[in-house]
Amino acid sequence: MLNLLTAERIKLSRSKKLMVVLGIFILLPIFQAINTKLNVENGKELNQVVDTVINGATGIMMIDKNALTIFLVLCSFVSFFIGEEFQNGTIRNALSLGRSRTHYYLTKFVIAGLVTLVGTIIMTALGMVSFSIIFGFGEVADINHYYLYSLKTFGTLYLLILANVSVYVMIGFLTKNSGVALIWSFLYTIATGFLPDIFRHTKHFQQVTDWFTETFLFYYNFATPAHIAKFPDMVMVSLITIVLSSTLGIISFKRTDIK
Amino acid sequence: MMSETILKAVNVSKIYGKSKALDKVSLEIKRGMIYGLIGENGAGKSTFMRTVMGLITVDEGNIELFGETGIKGLQKGRRRMGQSIETPALYPDLTARENLRVQAANGGVSDREIDDLLQLMNLGHTGKKKAKNFSLGMRQRLAIASTLITNPEFLILDEPTNGLDPSGIVEMREIIHRLVTERGITVLLSSHLLDELSQVATHYAILHDGQLIRELSKEELARETRQYIELETTEVQKAVAVLDELGIKDYEVISGSKIHIYESLDDVSSINRSLVLANLKVSRIGTTRQKLEDYFLQLTGGTSDA
Repeated sequence: MLNLLTAERIKLSRSKKLMVVLGIFILLPIFQAINTKLNVENGKELNQVVDTVINGATGIMMIDKNALTIFLVLCSFVSFFIGEEFQNGTIRNALSLGRSRTHYYLTKFVIAGLVTLVGTIIMTALGMVSFSIIFGFGEVADINHYYLYSLKTFGTLYLLILANVSVYVMIGFLTKNSGVALIWSFLYTIATGFLPDIFRHTKHFQQVTDWFTETFLFYYNFATPAHIAKFPDMVMVSLITIVLSSTLGIISFKRTDIK
Repeated sequence: MMSETILKAVNVSKIYGKSKALDKVSLEIKRGMIYGLIGENGAGKSTFMRTVMGLITVDEGNIELFGETGIKGLQKGRRRMGQSIETPALYPDLTARENLRVQAANGGVSDREIDDLLQLMNLGHTGKKKAKNFSLGMRQRLAIASTLITNPEFLILDEPTNGLDPSGIVEMREIIHRLVTERGITVLLSSHLLDELSQVATHYAILHDGQLIRELSKEELARETRQYIELETTEVQKAVAVLDELGIKDYEVISGSKIHIYESLDDVSSINRSLVLANLKVSRIGTTRQKLEDYFLQLTGGTSDA
């Protein structure tokens, strides 16, 4: 698997798509900090519940603030990252050398996870720095141990994002085509992101929606103690999503005929 | 010495819905062979190659590589193989060198040989040019270089001359010969043109509708498509008597007016003189060779006019 990871590193070192993804993760928090400053200068009052990030300390929630953008960027990247291997036929190069399909699948997942990690670290760090410069570092209300809180928050947010990335990887291997993967990943993101808004109005369905990671990102506030107490649930749902989607993806990929 | 069996396929079948892409295909490739798979489009050539490479699953039958069977055994065997199936599988945004580095990493081998391979495939001058800007011939050569980076003992090439211009085809043929003579690689290659394969391969298998309908060596193919004198006359019995008088034994009466003579190919004029002196009406006499294309169509049940 290390050999496959080395091959991926060489491929990504020349990847324009990766550069675009990282470019978005770098520019977006800076743009948002400037935009927020302009809004405040024009009389807007910042509210953490609505705006999510209002100073450097709340910048740890940049992933939450930009969850939909992150999903759309990553689903595009992953769809091309996997789909092009099938479409260019380059997937044959590794598999015909006797490389295990499970290792190949996991390699793609690990790389997608690493790109997600680097991207989210960049976005969070630049968000915290940008908002600190403009609005000061400040604090997160009711949080006494900020460092511990920030580590837990970032870790949980990352896992929630990674769970969706895991689903995108599975879709990429199931569809074997960049365009088709992109459409299905987009539909998955929109469906599990926005349909819970409807279902959450009924008591029974509310529990069902909590099995989708996007529900936490879109309908929970990571600075509220009641929701912070739900971090273990979020981690569990994320891990279950990762394990289930990866298992399904690997089983399906192992049975797939490569054209 | 062709002793070690590199690939042995026994009754390999692949079924898509109701159609059999491969129907109990059995063949054996020994070390040093250049084994040509020939068949029309859709005959099952690529499907068979893919089953060998483990890219598609086999529904029935068994494949043995370097004496190894089973999932682990075949994975081990495949590490000693290289492939280029159909279109060259390259990373379009990478240079020739980077493409080779990726494949070296995939195979877990050193990339020290890259310069030699680029020279061998006449790609040393490509520098920073990306693979997407290569000509088809260059891409085919790079794809083969990519397969060689892992030092394979067995190479699978699916229609390696597809889409190449005449000079590219000659170049590809020379490359394959060099790989066999200089590196001792055993090759399995496919084409839908028997004539083209006959200039490279040492052994042939003819696939038709997923079935292996004929397996033969270069010598057998030469014998079956050999040169002969075609004699057309209205008096076949008399002509046979004249041939017997001339001591010619290797001939065949094809029809009531046609005889094929397989010896004394340089003596057409003296045979003709003897026939004329015997008062035979000879409507046509001359040397000819059964076209490989006709031979192939004859085997597969097609027509040469098609």
